[in-house]
Amino acid sequence: MKWLKFAVSNTLRNRRRSLVTVVIAALGTAAILLAGGFALYTYESLAQGAARSSGHLIVGLPEQFSKDEDTPLQYGLDQHAELKAALLADPDVRQVLPRVAFSGLISNGDKSTIMLATGVEPDSEFAVKGPFVNMRAGAVLESGSKNAEVMLGEGLASSLKATPGSSLTLLATTTDGALNALDVTVKGVFSSGVPEIDKRSVYTDIATAQKLLNTPRVSTLSVFLRRMELTDPTQARVAAANPKLQVQTWRDQAFYYQAVRSLYDRIFGALGLIIAVIVVFVVANAMAMTIVERTREIGTLRALGTLPRQLMGSLALEGMVLGGVGALVGAVVAVSVALLLYVVPVQMPPPPGSTVGYALNITIDPLMILTTVLAMVALAMLASAWIARRTVHMPVVQALAHT
Amino acid sequence: MNTSPAPVVELRAVHKTYRLGQHVIPALQGVDLAVQRGELLALTGPSGSGKSTLLNLCGLIDAADSGQILFGGQPVQDLDETGRTLLRRDALGFVFQNFNLVPVMTVAENVDYPLFIAGVGAAERRDRVAAQLQAVGLQEHAAHRPDALSGGQRQRVALARALVKRPRLVIADEPTASLDSHTADQVLELMRERCHAEGAAFVIATHDSRLSQRCDRVLALLDGRLQ
Repeated sequence: MKWLKFAVSNTLRNRRRSLVTVVIAALGTAAILLAGGFALYTYESLAQGAARSSGHLIVGLPEQFSKDEDTPLQYGLDQHAELKAALLADPDVRQVLPRVAFSGLISNGDKSTIMLATGVEPDSEFAVKGPFVNMRAGAVLESGSKNAEVMLGEGLASSLKATPGSSLTLLATTTDGALNALDVTVKGVFSSGVPEIDKRSVYTDIATAQKLLNTPRVSTLSVFLRRMELTDPTQARVAAANPKLQVQTWRDQAFYYQAVRSLYDRIFGALGLIIAVIVVFVVANAMAMTIVERTREIGTLRALGTLPRQLMGSLALEGMVLGGVGALVGAVVAVSVALLLYVVPVQMPPPPGSTVGYALNITIDPLMILTTVLAMVALAMLASAWIARRTVHMPVVQALAHT
Repeated sequence: MNTSPAPVVELRAVHKTYRLGQHVIPALQGVDLAVQRGELLALTGPSGSGKSTLLNLCGLIDAADSGQILFGGQPVQDLDETGRTLLRRDALGFVFQNFNLVPVMTVAENVDYPLFIAGVGAAERRDRVAAQLQAVGLQEHAAHRPDALSGGQRQRVALARALVKRPRLVIADEPTASLDSHTADQVLELMRERCHAEGAAFVIATHDSRLSQRCDRVLALLDGRLQ
């Protein structure tokens, strides 16, 4: 305690220098926490978006995930109703949604274009996933509709000059290899926020998709859980109960999430490293100046019988005080900015490949804050001890003669 | 059989040289010296005669090139830096010309410091610090910082800091050089009193003849040799 008091008193000798050091350490810490908090928020948003799109778990035949199909639904699930019922018996499972993924052509009579279609159970799909698409016109699909209906991506609707109520024709190869066509009515037009997807994307109900493809199969079952954290344990449970099936998690299919995470990890990792180096240099510089000024005093303390390691510890404590106060102030600044963003929202521009911006938010993660503050303290202590090592080991006579 | 206690510090044929570029400067040339317990020894001599070097060797903050140094009868050549540091911590006190007090510590904390690093318990430290401050007449200034004291008061704090650990030897390098004559007299008298009260030996380097005359023994150094 006495060493700490000594260290605090020493940091107050040159208040301006200490203030500059603390401010830089605070700014560095705040920058790391804000950048890290932004990255975490992005990861969480992308993860939730990915899980909401694909389901937390995706159950299908192993070939569904590893091979290309020769005919539609070649590797689809036959007994999906029983499997769905079994999955729903799991207390952690909130909903199970069958999906039929297929491709083909969509035509307005004058023009045909490629579509990437998904057959879904509309009511359950939209109830579970919430507003995952932005409706531009018309309404979302409804289960039990008597007419064959579709929702078109904005770009596709524009290409086909289709509006709600328009009649279109879907063309696809059946599971037998024959060409089949089905007339459908446009129920709504949506935007996913990604123009490339909206140029090809079609949603229809499962019955329409199965009728077009002439099969009772579905491609996969998407399993929605009560919480993200249940993903891995539930995957293990479901996989153990269904050894002939493969159970993927949302991570396995979230290629965009993985790419962004990999990119951000590198960008923000490098940024954090640069900031940490700057803070270390600033603390080291401040300590170097203070140690030079106090060389004679260090010699006196050595003459009085202070061991070099005791002095190293004392000077490291000074670094801890400077780095620690700076890191704590920086953490307070970062949390304040994060909270302020909830009160005063800031809109970010659309990311590349998207037409929709997003709100700038900073995740407040106690573990990240604690880790960053402790890392700053540790770095400041190490920098101080490193700078002090030569002076505290200097011959006492030489240190006492220092002017 | 000789039953007299060993000298507090003893130098036998000690040589010490300094190198200044190409020049080799002999600081001490075959010095023999024994300082007895409770002795107030003055070292005099002109600047460059080797007084400070001799003090540094007696104070174990420097090492001889050749010869032998014994502290309490034990040779110190074989001690590593940690051993020397611990010996200084436990058995040696220092009084510097410019006081060398720690400015961010109070008077009491400065005096307490040697006991603190020696691991003495808090209650005992408190009592010993109070006793030393009373002995040097500074109990009223215990909570003051050194910069609030006069030169004489600061040197009394330095003396209290040197004596609080009950050392066997106190090294004092020009302890009155920064003081006016009246204050210097007071400090010297205090040193004499504490020397005899505590039983510690004092080795004092000084140019001040009035100071040296009041010591138990005076040795003159010239060109690194005791006269």
